[in-house]
Amino acid sequence: MHIQDGVLSPIVCVATGALSLSAVTYSLHRLKESVGDRTIPLTGMMAALVFAGQMVNFPIGAPVSGHLLGGVLAATVIGPWAGCIAMTLVLFVQWALFSDGGLFAFGANVLHMAVIGAWGGHAVRVLVQRFVGDGHRGIVTGSIIAAWSSVMAAAALFCLEFRVSWHASEIDFSKFFAWMVSFHSLIGVGEALITGVAISFVLKQRPELIWKMGTLASLSSLNSHKQTATGKSARPTVVVSITRTLAAGLIIALAIAAFLSPFASSFDDGLEAVLSKLNIAEFNLTPSVPGLFEDYDNVPVPIASWQTIAVSIAGIGGTLAVFGLALLLGKALPNGTVTLTSEATGE
Amino acid sequence: MSDYLDRFGRGMSICHRWPPLIKLSVAMGLILAATCTPITHGPLMGLIACEIFFIHSLARIPIAFVARRLLFFWPPLFLMALSLPLSQGGRAGWLMSATIVCRGTLSFTTALWLVNVMPFDQLLATLRRLRLPSVLLAILALMYRFLFVLWDELDRMRTARQVRLFRKPSLWEQWRQGAQMLGRLLIRALDRADRVHGAMMARGWQGDTRWLEQRQEDQR
Repeated sequence: MHIQDGVLSPIVCVATGALSLSAVTYSLHRLKESVGDRTIPLTGMMAALVFAGQMVNFPIGAPVSGHLLGGVLAATVIGPWAGCIAMTLVLFVQWALFSDGGLFAFGANVLHMAVIGAWGGHAVRVLVQRFVGDGHRGIVTGSIIAAWSSVMAAAALFCLEFRVSWHASEIDFSKFFAWMVSFHSLIGVGEALITGVAISFVLKQRPELIWKMGTLASLSSLNSHKQTATGKSARPTVVVSITRTLAAGLIIALAIAAFLSPFASSFDDGLEAVLSKLNIAEFNLTPSVPGLFEDYDNVPVPIASWQTIAVSIAGIGGTLAVFGLALLLGKALPNGTVTLTSEATGE
Repeated sequence: MSDYLDRFGRGMSICHRWPPLIKLSVAMGLILAATCTPITHGPLMGLIACEIFFIHSLARIPIAFVARRLLFFWPPLFLMALSLPLSQGGRAGWLMSATIVCRGTLSFTTALWLVNVMPFDQLLATLRRLRLPSVLLAILALMYRFLFVLWDELDRMRTARQVRLFRKPSLWEQWRQGAQMLGRLLIRALDRADRVHGAMMARGWQGDTRWLEQRQEDQR
């Protein structure tokens, strides 16, 4: 999932960097105003948990194994603001220790995994919970769907960034994007499965740990500090819920757009017109080979249909798998509501 | 304990003794140069590669270590870069994937150099001098500390699981157990964060973090 330097163009790096910088700054602002000092150790621990959790391997085939991404998990447990910060720090430490992901592509990585994962995942989860209910079933169903759609949204955004970065008119990106989407829909199913099982486990054992609106970090034993946690619960609810619905809509639209991105090469002309107007055409670093341009128009039909079928299979199969998963895991849980009582901890 | 992540960070070569900001700017300059050079400018790419090799040898980072890291780094990059020309063919596609691979490799090795000449506490001090918000720095510092704690916890849980297992679990079982292990680790981590917070409060912590800046400067 990490994007290396050299994959995206400098302009795209700057744009994504600015976007994620403002998102992280806003998260930090919200984090500071809404809670007391307990956020600091809690967010640090959550970031360390996601980092360590990515070391747990989930076998797929013989040499290949997947791991957690963690954005939705973090947002479900410590809320979207702290979750976004925690994911950003996870990405930073991965860069600073292993040089995973590029330095200039850091903004893009934060945008894909921290902002879409935590903010978007949280928005989608809350939207789903509105239909399923606020009980355990709603939380698990919501987080499963959120995990899957956040991965797909990140894939769609990457396709867009990649297309804008490589302003090479003689290359047909559609097959590359089809490949990316199929691959990411697998990753998304894995992420949804891991997130769903982990969250339903926590809900069974310690339901009070899951973040609730307006409170932070329902940590169990130190309830004397609850006033700092619940003090700001009366946020302006109408505005917040509209923006949240908008965010959820955006993420879902992006997730759907992922399946359309292989076909997006027909929009090339429009995109290129915009790009040349913005004078980004200078960043066309690959020399143009005019002879190849003719092949681009008449793509052989069998290949085009193969691509349609592959993306459709990936899309329908992935969606069905995720919804089946959500139903199964949701059925397994009692539909109680999350309560913030300290008695529930059994400590 | 904390040294197994950045193994060569505590070396005393000439690169390690450079001021942190110099290291950071050298790395950023090289990465910027690598990501902006067209693949057709072969000599320039070669020059950047030579410089990267030079600073690696100055920092006495063994070439076997770099090679081992590249072994893990290359497969995903190749997979991504090669899927373009393989699905398409044509000179433009190959040029593009060559560009991605060259730039990616050069910037990865540069970042690897930076990581290995700059220990994490020095990085924190540098970020602090660059005026990163103190809340973010405090969370980052705590995260780095907790990382090793949770890593050990995870190790213990893995050992315990292996001890209890008699046969190889099925694929679905492995997934379920892995995710449940994550959930259990999460519960333990949050409980520990709770205890740490209590201990910090008991020692008079008021939400701001004080840094032993001077001491870190002396160590270098």
